Amino acid sequence: MVGVSNTGWFSSKLIAVSLSLALLMPDTVAFAQTENARGFQLAFNTSNNPIAVIYPDIAEPYRSVFAQIIAGIEDKTNMRAVGYAVGSNVDSDELKNALSRQDAKVVIALGRQGMKIASTLDRNIGVVVGGVITAPDQDSRNFPLISMSPDPALLFARLKQLSPGMRRVFTVYDPQQNDWLIQRAKAAAGKQGLELVAYEARDLRSAVGRYQEIFAAADSRQDALWLPQDSTTVEDGSVLPLVLQESWGRSLLVFSSSFGHVKRGVLFSLYPDNAKLGRHLAEMALAFLDSGDYGERGMILLREVMTAINLRTAKHLGVNASRQQDFDMAFPDE
Amino acid sequence: MKSANTPLAMAMPALFWATASLAAPNTEEEDLALVYGDKNTVSIATGSPQALSRAPSTATVITAEDIAAMGATNLDEVLETVPGMHVSRSSIRYASAYVIRGIGGGSQTNPQVLVLQNGIPATTMYANDKGYAWFGVPVENIARVEIIRGPGSALYGADAYAGVINVITKTATDIAGTKLGARGGSFNTWNTWAQHGGKWGDVDVAAHLNIGATDGIKEIIQTDAQTANDRRFGTHASLAPGPVNTGYDAIDSSLNLSYDKWRVRAAYKLRDNLETGAGISSALDPNSRGRAENISGDISWTDPQIARDWSVGVIAAMQYYASTQPNNLQLYPPGTKLGATTFPNGLIGGPNSWERQLRFSGNATYSGFEGHSLRFGVGHDDLDLYRVKTVNNFILSQTGAFELYGTGEATDITGIQPHIRPHRRQVNYFYAQDEWNFARDWTLTAGVRHDRYSDFGDTTNPRVALVWDATVDLTAKLLYGQAFRAPSFAEQYGTNPVVNGNPNLEPETIQTLEMAFSWQARRDTQVNLSLFHYQMKNIIRLVQNTAPAVGSTYHNTGNQHGNGLELETVWDANDALRLTGNYSYQQSIDDVTRRDTGYAAHHHIYARADWRFYEQWAFSTQLNWVGERKRSTGDNRAQIPDNTTLDLTLRSTLAKNQWDLAASVRNLFDATVLEPSLAPGTAIPNDLPMAPRSFYLQASYRF
Repeated sequence: MVGVSNTGWFSSKLIAVSLSLALLMPDTVAFAQTENARGFQLAFNTSNNPIAVIYPDIAEPYRSVFAQIIAGIEDKTNMRAVGYAVGSNVDSDELKNALSRQDAKVVIALGRQGMKIASTLDRNIGVVVGGVITAPDQDSRNFPLISMSPDPALLFARLKQLSPGMRRVFTVYDPQQNDWLIQRAKAAAGKQGLELVAYEARDLRSAVGRYQEIFAAADSRQDALWLPQDSTTVEDGSVLPLVLQESWGRSLLVFSSSFGHVKRGVLFSLYPDNAKLGRHLAEMALAFLDSGDYGERGMILLREVMTAINLRTAKHLGVNASRQQDFDMAFPDE
Repeated sequence: MKSANTPLAMAMPALFWATASLAAPNTEEEDLALVYGDKNTVSIATGSPQALSRAPSTATVITAEDIAAMGATNLDEVLETVPGMHVSRSSIRYASAYVIRGIGGGSQTNPQVLVLQNGIPATTMYANDKGYAWFGVPVENIARVEIIRGPGSALYGADAYAGVINVITKTATDIAGTKLGARGGSFNTWNTWAQHGGKWGDVDVAAHLNIGATDGIKEIIQTDAQTANDRRFGTHASLAPGPVNTGYDAIDSSLNLSYDKWRVRAAYKLRDNLETGAGISSALDPNSRGRAENISGDISWTDPQIARDWSVGVIAAMQYYASTQPNNLQLYPPGTKLGATTFPNGLIGGPNSWERQLRFSGNATYSGFEGHSLRFGVGHDDLDLYRVKTVNNFILSQTGAFELYGTGEATDITGIQPHIRPHRRQVNYFYAQDEWNFARDWTLTAGVRHDRYSDFGDTTNPRVALVWDATVDLTAKLLYGQAFRAPSFAEQYGTNPVVNGNPNLEPETIQTLEMAFSWQARRDTQVNLSLFHYQMKNIIRLVQNTAPAVGSTYHNTGNQHGNGLELETVWDANDALRLTGNYSYQQSIDDVTRRDTGYAAHHHIYARADWRFYEQWAFSTQLNWVGERKRSTGDNRAQIPDNTTLDLTLRSTLAKNQWDLAASVRNLFDATVLEPSLAPGTAIPNDLPMAPRSFYLQASYRF
């Protein structure tokens, strides 16, 4: 009675779409199985593309980060990327063979997995790295690496824009993680008319002590606190809530290199514009193909950034953030 | 300067254990956690830019990730999880009725809730609700759903009354690639879909197509309205006991193009072979089918910085909606006798209507005054029910009696006795709002909107919100708002002599006072509490005509008030386990009878656990309890039994994240779930049975 009359042309369409989906399955599954044994998968392919993208095989929500970078690469190169999603059990030799079959001339290596593999490739293949913060064991080949750490020059410029009266920026960092960054940040601060007062801390206890010193010394009218990407000194579970509470009470401006901290209550953060980052990586790869020179070298701080703002904190600090069009993401959701 | 006796100093002893340097990041996840924060914030950062705050309110935002976690297959299942909200069903077609804070029950339509698609009203004019094309809206193309509880007319205009539901569809960034998916399950339910998000040249493109069908649930109605007629007139026409009829076929599609400051969107929704639920007249009707078609589109231009401190946007939108009955409706079954007349073919009716809407609006924000953010808007709506067709085999006499028309075959009687005449309504409006940061941590937002309707006149609705950022972790809000719902065309211009429209109707109004607290209790625990009181006035109700006139007419009559609260919490117990829960309480009182208004639950508890138990495997379970629903005045049936359901969902991503798989069991324990039938219960005394235990399997593949 009902089942029959409810079908008709809808069902034929349903069956058609289902069939097309089903027909797709056997090939794909078989391919994934054979490739899985080698720990990587040729995720998408096209002929005549001298650029290969090696990226980590990682679950959502992190997968989207790399998907957006790859979309930016494709946008710049104007062709489908040849992408290799690699797991921890990747067989490097097999991957190298695949790159060889592709006749890849340059590899855009994303994430730690991608970087690790790229560092073992033949020296005649160009390598551009992105999607990592640093490269502690950076290869002597000195391929260009765009860090996921936002350029402090941009952070300081944004700080001055939001709060022109700022004169000093305090920070606490672990030299093992961020010595390279602080050196550059000091130079960048000077150009903005800021003094960067950077305290070293090699463990959580000494970091807390440093924060105490900062809170004792800081004058909220002209001083701000910067939280770098540092798992020692900016520990999210216990230190961050206390830092936020203390700075709120003292109306001390806090900004961060980590997006998530804005949701927690810091005033602003810069975070990667992944599509633009992808285009930048592709630009360097194309430059290498063109001339054998990437155009840039070494560790490149992230300049393809978006801005997240905490409007609640802005109001508390008396910072004028009412031009919401200046920001890409605003917290909290009212 | 403060002494060292600070939270940081006091925490020092607890931190002394941590003398060793914490490990520098070693994995992708650790790297990305330093950049983005936890998994939830990664999703936010990589999603499309979220709507910036427009006005303080009591709101819930449900993301695509939440929807996937709860195993929802359609929008109604998503909305049931919202604090203060319950999705009930009308006996007609089993259409969903969103009951928010006790408002919205006891009607065959759902006009007190404004449903928006990407910020544009999906309202149809005939019944002033979302219409039948929104049946079982699929969820894979929803980026997020924003639900505002309480009045929103100061910004959104008509029908932002009990609440506003804004369904935001996925953009090219959200989809990022091509996806094919299929789902099948109980009641012969099938859906297949395709999605694409990418670029065509410089244009961002998001496209979606979903084709589906279901036979619907077949729960049994023991006695129906015809059973009562049979008793009265000595006939045996009723099809009860018999199953409800809830099947339909569906197409949902959309195309979203954006380029620079321009955006063009189009959407198509079709519900065909739409069955009649418990019957259009509460008499079971297994053979009739309806059809609802909704075509909408909009073009907008937005410049976030057209001049210093100014942002401007303009939008033009259209909607076409047709609700038709290709083979008419069996209002009462063959053999029906009403009064002295016997209807060998039963009562057959075919109300058809066609609508088109045009909406133009512009808005601007100005942030040049220190401490202020001003927002202005103007608009014009042209709402035209331009064609009707009424096909009946009966006609109503001047005394309100049903009489056979002609030979008793269904005949076009539009020219003689249409169910409604075409009508066009035009609305002009403007609004202004100022967000004033008048002292440190204190913000006052005040807004007002004035609407001028071509038929019922003017209405002005203010809104005020005082927000206090008490501490870094605690925000308190005091909110006051007034809202209205416009009379539907059926209520105002219906020409059915038994249910008369009333052209003199005025808007139904509500005033709401709310207090809301948002507390980040711990790093991993968020708690929200809202308390509300509302007063409804000028409620639009059917009133029995004074003798000797028969039938009923819509009037503004009666007031009601209500109080309640919503408490919700989210606890991220660890990286793999999230617990979400809410409790809602409301009591609504009719000011005349001083009795409970009935239908709506006094208590509602929802709880969910999302557990990522092994790499790419996730399991979620949700419990929903709807408790203490009283009957309205004049309905002497026992209280509606409480509903308790438990659902399970298992999800996994396989083959390098290209496959998403999900399996769900809904109503695991096969509990009896009932929604209230209309008072006094003579038509369908045993209420409306809902879905028993059901199973769904879903797979999607990403290219």
